[in-house]
Amino acid sequence: MLIFACPNGGNQMISKKLAIEVLNECLATGGDYAEIYLEDTRSESIRLENGSVESSGKRESYGAGIRILNQLKSVYGFTSDLSKKSLLELAHKLAASFSGQRIITVTSVETEPVATINPIIDHLADVPAAEKIQYLKECYAITAAVDKRLVRIQDAFVDSIKNIEIFSAEGIVAKQYENSEERGRLVIVSVAAQNGGIESYFIGPGHFAGWSWFTKVLDYKGIAKKCGEKAVMLLSAQECPSGRFPVVITNGWGGVIFHEACGHSLEATATAKHLSVFSDSIGKQIAAPIVSAFDDGTMPNEWGSNNIDSEGHLTQKNQLIKDGVCVGFLVDKFNGRRLNMSANGCSRRESYRYEPTSRMSNTYIAPGKDKPEDIIRDTKLGIFVANFGGGSVNPTTGEFNFSASEAYIIRDGKICEPVKGCTLIGSGKEVLMNIDRVGDDVGLGEGICGSASGSIPVNVGQPTIRLKEITVGGRGGKLQ
Amino acid sequence: MKIQEFFDLAKAKGVSEAQIQIKKTSSLSMSLFHHEMDNYNVNDSQNVIACGIVKGKFGSCRTEKLDETAFPFLVDGIIESAGVSEKTETAELFKGSEKYHKKNVFNKELGLVPVEKKIALLHLIEEGIFAYDKRISEVESVQYSEEEIVAEFYNSFGLKLKQKSNYFVLIGAADAKVNDEIKNSWNLFIGNDFTAFEPKPFIKKLGDRVLAKFGGAPCASNKYPTVLKNTVFSDLVGYFVGADSSEEVQKKSSFLVGKLNAPIASKKVTISEKPLTKNVFFSYFDDEGVSEYNKDIIKKGVLLTYLYNRETAKKDGVQSTGNAQWRGDKIGIGFGNIFVKGSKKTFDELISPIKEGVYITEIEGLLTGVNENSGDFSCQAQGFMIRNGKLSEPLNLITLSGNLLKIFADVKGLDDNYEITPDSITSPDAYIKETSIGGK
Repeated sequence: MLIFACPNGGNQMISKKLAIEVLNECLATGGDYAEIYLEDTRSESIRLENGSVESSGKRESYGAGIRILNQLKSVYGFTSDLSKKSLLELAHKLAASFSGQRIITVTSVETEPVATINPIIDHLADVPAAEKIQYLKECYAITAAVDKRLVRIQDAFVDSIKNIEIFSAEGIVAKQYENSEERGRLVIVSVAAQNGGIESYFIGPGHFAGWSWFTKVLDYKGIAKKCGEKAVMLLSAQECPSGRFPVVITNGWGGVIFHEACGHSLEATATAKHLSVFSDSIGKQIAAPIVSAFDDGTMPNEWGSNNIDSEGHLTQKNQLIKDGVCVGFLVDKFNGRRLNMSANGCSRRESYRYEPTSRMSNTYIAPGKDKPEDIIRDTKLGIFVANFGGGSVNPTTGEFNFSASEAYIIRDGKICEPVKGCTLIGSGKEVLMNIDRVGDDVGLGEGICGSASGSIPVNVGQPTIRLKEITVGGRGGKLQ
Repeated sequence: MKIQEFFDLAKAKGVSEAQIQIKKTSSLSMSLFHHEMDNYNVNDSQNVIACGIVKGKFGSCRTEKLDETAFPFLVDGIIESAGVSEKTETAELFKGSEKYHKKNVFNKELGLVPVEKKIALLHLIEEGIFAYDKRISEVESVQYSEEEIVAEFYNSFGLKLKQKSNYFVLIGAADAKVNDEIKNSWNLFIGNDFTAFEPKPFIKKLGDRVLAKFGGAPCASNKYPTVLKNTVFSDLVGYFVGADSSEEVQKKSSFLVGKLNAPIASKKVTISEKPLTKNVFFSYFDDEGVSEYNKDIIKKGVLLTYLYNRETAKKDGVQSTGNAQWRGDKIGIGFGNIFVKGSKKTFDELISPIKEGVYITEIEGLLTGVNENSGDFSCQAQGFMIRNGKLSEPLNLITLSGNLLKIFADVKGLDDNYEITPDSITSPDAYIKETSIGGK
């Protein structure tokens, strides 16, 4: 049975009549597409410092973004005032940047059904603050019990429900979409100190899900313990060596390397203007033949999933690389015009304050045939990266960097001593061709991706992989 | 909406002290691609953040929805937030400083410059970049943005503060190509006097920056004497000053714990915070309503002060330094308009003693590459080799690693080549005794 998203209990943020008026004002000067994106987001957070509630708060983000496209030109504006006067003024101001004759007059609005592929039964906003505090205190107690050298432990729970309405028109009948996004995130940061050394560790699992996922599915007790253990472990870690050598990267959050090294460069934001290292790569070998990769916004209840994208398109599972060959880009409506490609459900934005563009959702390298333990065993001397802090990329050159927050030396096929201060750098073209082992243990990890249309929740993912050689930066001298 | 209605409602519902800040922003931005305006954005928005004291506990709430529901939402939010607080110290809001150093930094002329003139400037810049050198293969974007901000502060003690400011930013980004080698770079100008912008030096700087990158390759992994370009050093200064937060120090999460009044850097290092500088980053009151003032943070290598808000100052028995800044749902610590003192040396004089070293012009990945607790960092970098006191071959895809305390202790010299970053940090180039460079 399909469940349909019905935010605001069916209460519209603006009437269909007003939407038609605003769309027609937008289209008065020759625009061929107009869109109103209305948002009402309520978020809550509770933060504990060493087991006591330090701060909490609610916030409401509320407003509208209006966009007009005219062939390869785009104009966008936003306002937090949803009155008729304000919306019509904004539409008029935006339309004034074109000087053509009207080609579209909107006469009616049809509501498009939006199926809920991310069902939630126990809404996070309905959970009393006391219950969330109790949950966080349980996490704190577990972390604190790990070691006396933990000097600071922060536990936070952040959740939000974003209700949106989209009216879009490229003909006489405008389309209306309603959607609701609900996400929660548990954040634990632990700081360990000893003899003047200070180290920290962060874990932040998030999901497009209700409370029972956090309390019954997520191993929050294990995570709380791990967060404390890893911070303490880093106190005795040596500085990471530097140079070029083999690197094995863990599954799940390790996929941030694909996200940065390749994913951003396959977004139409970069490829449409030929500003990406992969702009002309469709049909070409860009990765080792053992690599296939997908971006899938339809995975039920995943952190980067959604029912529809920010333009109203249904989210999709898009294959980006098949057996090493580039087979697709992530395409939004506007950049699709330059590429002569259809939008494929990946247009995203942080809020009404941002114009939407092509972005990743849940992006991962598909599973291969190797067992993770075999990949380690077959590596004589190298680095095993068990966790990343994050990274960034220059899509034009494809050059990227990642910081490992947990890494170890591999010696004679075994994971040995931990190292800290480890950075991996390279170019996307090089690193994808350098993947020589792909494990069968694909997993996902949650992150926040910052790019042209703001900061959005994304999953990165992969099985355990090995790069036969990559530049590693650190202060530990040569790897021996 | 009348602000007094907020205070009346707050009082009626048991909020003994209250504060409300309203920020109104109007902005315009536009960009060219291939001689056509491909993006044009306008906005008018407001957001409100309110806080208050309920039975000695602090609570806060925010909204962007400024209709009749706003004040009840904010007051109920404050009460709910204060209701779960477990802080043991009794909280109180600030009545007001004796004196404020208000200055007019708003340039009304900026908004009067016709949009057509701004668009014409973008065309001029785009054409100038394309014409600069045959190797320029693409102008990724030329973008003009301007913003006008009105920030108002009110509290239930009758304190009313207001600051109006505006600025514009011009960004140019270009690619250059030789055979299969492609390089890109960007340049940025920020100010609020449209007439002060000079396109020619802007274009030249961008063109030179991107063309200088051809042939870049990694050097051998080693420790090298290192010169950090002013903007690169500014990035590190930002993290260093961030670690000076009294909150981080009190919570034992900063590498500056126990370092007050101690020599923590080379004697050549003097870093000040000057929020009252009359530029686009000027600020005369913080988020608690405390009057801001200029101060030295590090003088000749000695750490003179931590940065305080009222709560952390009370814990240390000192006065707030006017550094209160909202951090999520609480008032934390922030800073602005940081200045690093240089010398009379030129850049050429700064690098002249270095026989073999590196000059780092750009770094990437510092956001995730810094451990803010320990000061350890590692990031992607590019620049040039220094050989026999002169710049030599370009470097690319190398890593720069170090520890902030060590870097600042190892500053051997600074020059007279200042640049201000969008993070409001002004710094000269800095010569560091040695850093770890990862490459071949």
